Amino acid sequence: MRRFFSRWQNLLGLGLVLFFGVIALAAPILSPQSEKEPGAFQRTEGVKRTKREPQPPEVVAPLGSLPGQLDVFHALVWGTRDALTFGLQVTLATALFGVLLGAGAGLVGGWFNSLVLRIADSFLSFPLIAGVVFLEQLWLNAITASGGVFFRGQMIQEPVGGISPIEWLFLHTDALSVTIILFSWMPYARLTNAMVAVLKPTEFIQAAQALGASQARILFRHLIPNAVSPALVLAARDVGGMVVLQATLTFIGISSSSVWGTMLAMGRDWVIGPDGGIFRYWWVFLPTTLALTLFGVGWNLLGDGLSDLLDPRE
Amino acid sequence: MPPLLKYLIRRALVMPISAFIISLALYGGVMLTPAEVRADLYMPSNLNQNLTEEDIARLKEKIITRYHLRDPFPMQYAYWVQSIVLGEWGYSPSLKADVLPALLQRTPATVELAFYSLLLFVPLGLLGGGLAGWRKNSPEDSSLRLLAFISTSLPPFILALMMLSFFYIGLGWFAPGRLSNALGYQLTPENFRAYTGMYTLDGLLNGRPDVTLDAFRHLAMPVFTLSLYHWATLTRITRASMVAQRGQEYIIAARARGIHGARLVWKHAFRNTLAPSLTSLTLSAASLLTGVFVVEIIYVYNGVSFVILRAMQGIPDAPAVLGFSVYSVMLVLGLMFGLDVLQALADPRIREENLA
Repeated sequence: MRRFFSRWQNLLGLGLVLFFGVIALAAPILSPQSEKEPGAFQRTEGVKRTKREPQPPEVVAPLGSLPGQLDVFHALVWGTRDALTFGLQVTLATALFGVLLGAGAGLVGGWFNSLVLRIADSFLSFPLIAGVVFLEQLWLNAITASGGVFFRGQMIQEPVGGISPIEWLFLHTDALSVTIILFSWMPYARLTNAMVAVLKPTEFIQAAQALGASQARILFRHLIPNAVSPALVLAARDVGGMVVLQATLTFIGISSSSVWGTMLAMGRDWVIGPDGGIFRYWWVFLPTTLALTLFGVGWNLLGDGLSDLLDPRE
Repeated sequence: MPPLLKYLIRRALVMPISAFIISLALYGGVMLTPAEVRADLYMPSNLNQNLTEEDIARLKEKIITRYHLRDPFPMQYAYWVQSIVLGEWGYSPSLKADVLPALLQRTPATVELAFYSLLLFVPLGLLGGGLAGWRKNSPEDSSLRLLAFISTSLPPFILALMMLSFFYIGLGWFAPGRLSNALGYQLTPENFRAYTGMYTLDGLLNGRPDVTLDAFRHLAMPVFTLSLYHWATLTRITRASMVAQRGQEYIIAARARGIHGARLVWKHAFRNTLAPSLTSLTLSAASLLTGVFVVEIIYVYNGVSFVILRAMQGIPDAPAVLGFSVYSVMLVLGLMFGLDVLQALADPRIREENLA
């Protein structure tokens, strides 16, 4: 424990993660949502709404506005909440899936173990971007075929005869999150599997087996708690990585779920457009970039710190 | 049989298994949609615009019987694989073109981008990591580590935005796209033969160095954006394995035999860092390709990813998307195999059997 706090990088990582956590929790206090415009994007007051040009912080408080007079500060704060929720949810689901599969396969062993590892290797050859587009297309086609009427991903009219369970699933899940879980579990499964392979022949597991403990008890009580630390380190790093990935895919127009990504995509024309400039309209670019980058850095450093903390060799 | 060949055949045999599992999963996903949607995959290209909905429904019914779209999964899967192997990848309504030719036509552009990036970051990453690891905690090591840290922290799309702002809008040195418009319009199949489809090579083959230069001017930003992140990752991994090599007994033994300096580093220690570094590169081949596609889209570089540009924006185009998914898996497997060959050439344990 003392070693964790003796390195400034670990403290910086922890500090950044806590900072974003506090912002996410305090979002309703920092920038309350109005009833008229719920959500992360809200128009600023004081400037004509028809004006397209982003206004600097001197004109509208406190961090200027995006094109269309959307409040940068408001979106930044609520985007933090969004990013943190997304990162934690998706990472948790991915890690849980991978760890359970890896540990379970390791415990059962034999052909089942080989099959799981073989599938993990195969999934490594699938580029995530193709997965996102594929699943979104699947969602789109399945939902359109159901006969419902959709507008911007929201069903505004239910199909005649109701919706099937599969269609319900498509409607209530986000293609991006599902893709990330489907194509990121492999390292977790591999790491846990390797740990389980080391632990399984050890005496304390054999003792548990001799005492008549059930397979489930051995898995959850003995194997997973002892095999989970490398997965924990990976998960900490992934929280940041997945938020950056979500923002990237939103920026290039594949997904629309990241608030930070949407902000950067909106500001894009004022940064690299004909009348734009990265210094002239710095507030549409810099605050969001800093937030996204520091979010990634924070979780990465925390991951490094955890790896120091949990590494039994040192 | 030479050991190198044996190793490569063994590696090549893994690829069909991966392709099988992935394609099974892909078609399993497709199976979640009703048969009428699956019929879109086989829609003909010369569809009459004046068809009524009933005509289309009748046509779909015909396709469903012809391609056995109501059969159980294994049968349908087999028919689908057959059509993929025969090159019938369907017709994309958003591209208004057949999927397979559309993919093949854009492949040289993607290969060109990926090749120059690999050419840039693999040697630099190996050298940087080797140097930093050998001189652990030296000023060189610290600055390389800092640079690698910054490079992995900065999301590539933000780097792309910054590069466009500085080097395209500000200085006008580089540009997005593949060729300048003024030059692109001049080139016709008569005066510029597409030998390889890669402008940097075709320019030289056609005796038009100005085309080659212009192509590089457009490749510079995407190649750099793609390389920086992967350079940093490779540097970190190589550094870690170099640090591990330093204390090994064979290094001490080599020192005792009077081997020192560059020979000790590059001939002895560095050789042993190659295997783990190249393995990690092989394992991240898919994310490398995802990076290539992201960069292509940001820099409006007309590569393979342009096949799904419309479908990405929510236009139903199942043949293009499914074809793109299958094709990108094939590209990843190809890239992995290429890196395997590279590793085999670098590793004497694979090259020469008697050392194994």
